[in-house]
Amino acid sequence: MESYVSVEWRDSLHLLLPSAPRPSLNLRPLLRLKILTPSPSSSKQHLLLVSFLPLSPPTMPDFSTLVKLKHVKLGYQYLVNHILTLTLIPIMAGVVVKVLRLGPEEIVSLWSSLQFDFVQVLCSSFFVIFVATVYFLSKPRSIYLVDYECYKPPVACRVPFSTFMEHSRLILSNNPKSVEFQMRILERSGLGEETCLPPAIHYIPPSPTMEAARGEAEIVIFSAMETLFKKTGLKPRDIDILIVNCSLFSPTPSLSAMVINKYKLRSNIKSFNLSGMGCSAGLISIDLARDLLQVHPNSNAVVVSTEIITPNYYQGKERAMLLPNCLFRMGGAAILLSNRSSDRWRAKYRLVHVVRTHKGADNKAYRCVFEEEDKEGKVGISLSKDLMAIAGEALKSNITTIGPLVLPASEQLLFLLTLIGRKIFNPKWKPYIPDFKQAFEHFCIHAGGRAVIDELQKNLQLSPEHVEASRMTLHRFGNTSSSSLWYELSYIESKGRMKRGDRVWQIAFGSGFKCNSAVWKCNRTIKTPTDGPWADCIERYPVHIPEVVKL
Amino acid sequence: MELFTLLLTIPILYVFFLLWKWVNDLRDQQCYILDYQCYKPSDDRMVGTKFCGEVIKRNKNLGLNEYKFLLKAIVSSGIGEQTYAPRIMFDGREECPKLEDGISEMDEFLHDSIGKVLSRAGISPQEIDVLVVNVSMLAAVPSLSSRIVNHYKMRPDIKSFDLTGMGCSASLISLDIIRNVFKSYKNKFALLVTSESLSMNWYTGNDRSMILANCLFRSGGCAILLTNNKALKHQAMFKLKCLVRTHHGAKDESYSVCTQKEDDQGRMGFHLSKNLPKAATRCFVDNLKVITPKILPVRELLRFMAVSVVKKWKQRCGSVPKGAPEGPIKAGVKFKSGVDHFCIHTGGKAVIDGMGVSLELSEYDLEPARMTLHRYGNTSASSLWYVLAYMEAKKRLKKGHKVLMISFGSGFKCNSCVWEVVRDLDDGNVWKDEIERYPPKTLLNPYMEKYGWIQDEDLSTFKVPDEI
Repeated sequence: MESYVSVEWRDSLHLLLPSAPRPSLNLRPLLRLKILTPSPSSSKQHLLLVSFLPLSPPTMPDFSTLVKLKHVKLGYQYLVNHILTLTLIPIMAGVVVKVLRLGPEEIVSLWSSLQFDFVQVLCSSFFVIFVATVYFLSKPRSIYLVDYECYKPPVACRVPFSTFMEHSRLILSNNPKSVEFQMRILERSGLGEETCLPPAIHYIPPSPTMEAARGEAEIVIFSAMETLFKKTGLKPRDIDILIVNCSLFSPTPSLSAMVINKYKLRSNIKSFNLSGMGCSAGLISIDLARDLLQVHPNSNAVVVSTEIITPNYYQGKERAMLLPNCLFRMGGAAILLSNRSSDRWRAKYRLVHVVRTHKGADNKAYRCVFEEEDKEGKVGISLSKDLMAIAGEALKSNITTIGPLVLPASEQLLFLLTLIGRKIFNPKWKPYIPDFKQAFEHFCIHAGGRAVIDELQKNLQLSPEHVEASRMTLHRFGNTSSSSLWYELSYIESKGRMKRGDRVWQIAFGSGFKCNSAVWKCNRTIKTPTDGPWADCIERYPVHIPEVVKL
Repeated sequence: MELFTLLLTIPILYVFFLLWKWVNDLRDQQCYILDYQCYKPSDDRMVGTKFCGEVIKRNKNLGLNEYKFLLKAIVSSGIGEQTYAPRIMFDGREECPKLEDGISEMDEFLHDSIGKVLSRAGISPQEIDVLVVNVSMLAAVPSLSSRIVNHYKMRPDIKSFDLTGMGCSASLISLDIIRNVFKSYKNKFALLVTSESLSMNWYTGNDRSMILANCLFRSGGCAILLTNNKALKHQAMFKLKCLVRTHHGAKDESYSVCTQKEDDQGRMGFHLSKNLPKAATRCFVDNLKVITPKILPVRELLRFMAVSVVKKWKQRCGSVPKGAPEGPIKAGVKFKSGVDHFCIHTGGKAVIDGMGVSLELSEYDLEPARMTLHRYGNTSASSLWYVLAYMEAKKRLKKGHKVLMISFGSGFKCNSCVWEVVRDLDDGNVWKDEIERYPPKTLLNPYMEKYGWIQDEDLSTFKVPDEI
């Protein structure tokens, strides 16, 4: 049973930051509990209050009460989530008992006494068919993710710590402080020794020509697409929609035109080239693909997410701008989406929701990730110190919209009851924190950096297993910007954890400041893949990533 | 009796089918233009003949041959004395631009046009649901769409998209996104912002195929407010009838027509190949093949089919020789029967002339495009909207008229769309103060007059004069 109550609310909720000492961040104090606005576009009015308790040390109840509480909770959840079936069963039982009591002859006479008027039957059957057709037509089309492929860079492009530091010392030989800064960042970054940078950046000094940038784009995009074509059996001429997103490199002709030229795609293809939208651009492309696939029946869409590092490697010495150099690495992904019913059986996932939140209206959020020139005129991206706090804010906005869409009825009911209780009975009651682990089995958090993953783990109260995919992707591939979500999904599949019916939540942050999330539902149990980016190293994972790697 | 009722089922079925189709069509949302505002930069950014000469002289890499080539290009370009250039040209810094020059150039346009169009329509920025920005040659972090969201404090659940690299046809591609989003959501407002960034893209070398891009492009932009709200149908200006996109990227010659690359000395520029007119024509013909059946009345289509059948039969009989016709391809279809006005991308005089011949248009039809080219130059993706504004200022747009917009872009793309005018329009827009002066008596290019002597100079005796 789904009953939702609409409540007026004001949006203002601050997230509690981790209490671990981080000298560069401001620790925002605790939270006031207030009510939040539903998004104006939601047709149903839901309510959700997300609040986080102060971190006072919890008193540990003894083991037996814990177990009893657990059983009560489970029973309650089962009751509320299946309330419809539970009410129907007694009704059905009653009907069956009544029918059995009547006896067979009475049933036969009842049946034959019904008059069948031809016209009446015809009209009623047409009416039923008509209503059924209108219902099925007005349902939004399901969008399926047939398959996807992530780019695996060649071994020659690897940048272990020693290579990176050596390059740094040679290029920044006049600025030992900047070299020191880069070393400290690398030690705490959570990256491994196998991340890759494009060939042009391996030169000392790097040689970012337009040709080299195009070369990197070609290698990354074309190899991902070739493998996608092979895996899905897709013919290039069958692609109806093509969306390419690459934040910082937009040549003329666009990257989408480059793909169309290479694979000789059709002339009436709908192609789009998105750029500048940061690490969350992958989900923006999925949103656009979804809108297009709703309008065009029987089509498929290919989404290519990548970030081309070559033209954007910062070559100055400003510290805030050296940070992206340490984190961003080469990577890309190609995804095939479809709304054809023939693809339903072989699709891996079905798209359930995409929620986009844009905090650009707030000046501090807007200036958080900014491309600018330093004093010497070299262009780089500066990351502000408030990044974590702003990410928390953006996530909160996103959760307030997505929570009502995905949380099960039991959580929402509990929350509603607590709210009513607080309002009417006793304001001192503890506010209820919805448990997102009940709504999703897997979490793909954009591997923006170790701090981002730690932050989200604390705020969403996730266990280390839930964030394992993100941490391992950061370790093996680095921050590959918009494609990192797909590497993480591939990790979960490679570990054999993806079962039919599992729900995945992909969260990505981007410049501007945006927080986008997508919810996918697994369509069929996925066998452990024998190829793909994790194929040769999955046995080694998960690895323990120490807090600081001494260099 | 039974047979009769059985026969009755067929019309009943048909009635139900019509009902279902009607319900289905109700869901199809239409796209309306509520208002649009073209950008008119301030007068201190105006670029005349003398100034152009100074800029060319500043570039130390150019020699006599390049001057001759440039003169020929500018003379045949159809550009007049009042086009606009980015501020960096006036500071003399075009050879070493900074990122903030590009951003401030965009900011000037964004803060001006978007504010005007929203206030005129009476819509607050918080009501915008979809924002699509297309600026081909600038990709910044945060994106330009984020800049707009920040400056106008738009809502957090806005759907924003930022397209780059798609050339002069990008505004119709943005329109495609908006049209598709409108079909899935009800009662939304969309803002389409189109412009071009010139500050960061000045070519400092002397490769002839790349200098051309320097002379042709000028500053301009347009902000368009759209909606699919049926209640606002009567306030709207235009209704979108159809939109067709054709992409010839699969053909290698078309793909390499306009490429951004480094020349032999490593300087970045836009290479325009000699195949441009041929690739454009081919793509245009393919696009026409798709859009013509959608816009012309059946009568004209039948007539065209009859004519082409007769022509083929004559060819087979041998009375008309086979082979590719000389000169530009004539469509043979009377577009004037289905379309009243033509918005042609002002790519250059050659483009407009070529289109005029292909579509068999009169001078009256080509006048808006020619005048826009003369007054504002080639403003890339936003040029179509200036042409539309000219027609509106000349009071040519009456209710029920159809306007065909055609644009080309790198890659190679040809996009076209047809608008239906919803009500009589007569607002001056950017042409308000000067529409009476158009068309001017003579379009003679002042560059020819001033610099014509260069054609007679000899390389060995040439010396750059101090006073240009």
